[in-house]
Amino acid sequence: MDAVTVGTGPAVVLIASVLAIGAYLVAVVDRVLFALVAGRPVLWSVVTGPAREAAAVARRQPVTTEAPDRILWVMAPAAYAGLAAMALSVVPLGPGLAVADVRTGIVVFGAAEALAIVAIFLHGWAPNSALPLVAGYRFVGVALSYELLSMFVLIAAALPAESLSIGAIVASQEPVWNVVRQPLGLPLFLIVTAGVTFTGPLAIVDSPDLAGGGAAEDSGVVRLAWVGARAAMLVAFSAAAAAVFLGGWLGPVLPPIVWMALKTAAVAVTVLASRHLLARVSPERFVHIAWTVLLPLAFADLAIAGVVSL
Amino acid sequence: MTSAAFAVFSAAAIWTGWRVFRTDSMVRASFLLLASFLNVGALCVLLLAEYLGTALLFMMTVEMVVMALFMVMFMMNPAGLNPMNMVHQPRFAIGAGVVATLGLGGVAVAGAFPDAPAAPIPATIRALGSELLGDSMLVFETAGVTLVATMVCAVMLSSARGRYGDDDGGSVAPPLEPDGDHRPEDDLVDDGGGHGHMHHGGH
Repeated sequence: MDAVTVGTGPAVVLIASVLAIGAYLVAVVDRVLFALVAGRPVLWSVVTGPAREAAAVARRQPVTTEAPDRILWVMAPAAYAGLAAMALSVVPLGPGLAVADVRTGIVVFGAAEALAIVAIFLHGWAPNSALPLVAGYRFVGVALSYELLSMFVLIAAALPAESLSIGAIVASQEPVWNVVRQPLGLPLFLIVTAGVTFTGPLAIVDSPDLAGGGAAEDSGVVRLAWVGARAAMLVAFSAAAAAVFLGGWLGPVLPPIVWMALKTAAVAVTVLASRHLLARVSPERFVHIAWTVLLPLAFADLAIAGVVSL
Repeated sequence: MTSAAFAVFSAAAIWTGWRVFRTDSMVRASFLLLASFLNVGALCVLLLAEYLGTALLFMMTVEMVVMALFMVMFMMNPAGLNPMNMVHQPRFAIGAGVVATLGLGGVAVAGAFPDAPAAPIPATIRALGSELLGDSMLVFETAGVTLVATMVCAVMLSSARGRYGDDDGGSVAPPLEPDGDHRPEDDLVDDGGGHGHMHHGGH
């Protein structure tokens, strides 16, 4: 292990507060974007709205289904939020400011991403109900087709750094950011982000055409936990995208942590905007596009990274 | 601290591995097996096989997801939620397991292992191997070839279009009554007004 610079207690506080504040901001930004796209005035209530709505959802009566797998149903949001924490823990938020900037940071991040597939699938599987079940299986089919993209673009980013540590990857972007020298990386990673958080064109899990899909039977605190965990995952993925492709904390004048926050916010806003601006793609079509177009592009990204690094 | 963690992860790996055979659904069995693998991955990290341990996490995850999906797809229990027995030929399996454990354990404990060092590798080959992949040469070589073969086979098996055309070309719906006539308007696939049936290749 390289520099583990945050102790256990502060690490828990740091990760939990970044994810909680970030998730709340995600909800606020989502409302702002909705108002802008709909041409409505952006009112002050967008700031307090998510809190009021969360309180209302949490107070609602919990409803259950016939013979569900209760443990997995409750565990799924917890696991998903825990994986967001695991993903964020390997991302340095500033020079030396990481919970665990381990040598295999990229691999740990990839493991969190892969395990999120399990959490999302089980969340749809556990209620023993038709539409969530369909959503779970549908998600697995789609997830398997974009999972490789993420691995390829992350490994491509690790090539110039000659390290799997995300801190080293940020440091390697001192001369030029990865978004410039590997232009395919960030767009492909944004697709993966949309997939893991099922946002925008890839909002195919908890989607209206399945009456809410995986979350159709959720109620009360479990529903609130699922929505919150999903926003937290978006924060973790945005931070990773900012670190791996946009130079992380690097930037003039402003303090490093501010640059990191700004870049993370920019990525999150881009993904959230896709929710209001782009149509949902059908799962079959996306799987076709993923294997025939996106995967070759990811290969090309890796090849470009290799040639540039020579 | 490390020893305690080692004990906890080992116990969890064994317990979840045992639960695989005690549960009643394919999906639960797959993900209990995954839990067992995750604990083994944590053990690898504790043994300072950092890359191997973390790689085990995501490789086994995707593998078990694929396994759960495919097992449920080809099973009579479509959702993986209905109770079913996870054990086949239990008596024979117990016997085989005990014999194998005793045999391998006996060899490990009592066996005299040969102590003949391999012939020294020529310096250039060693340098090339280290230059390419460092210490992980063997792992990467084996995993790489296996993965490529798997990917090619999976794409071949799952592709809807083969060299003889669409694999559902000419598919027809079963008749509504037993021994009834097939009605062309019920064709599962519309491949050109019914003219294209049975004309894929073969001429």
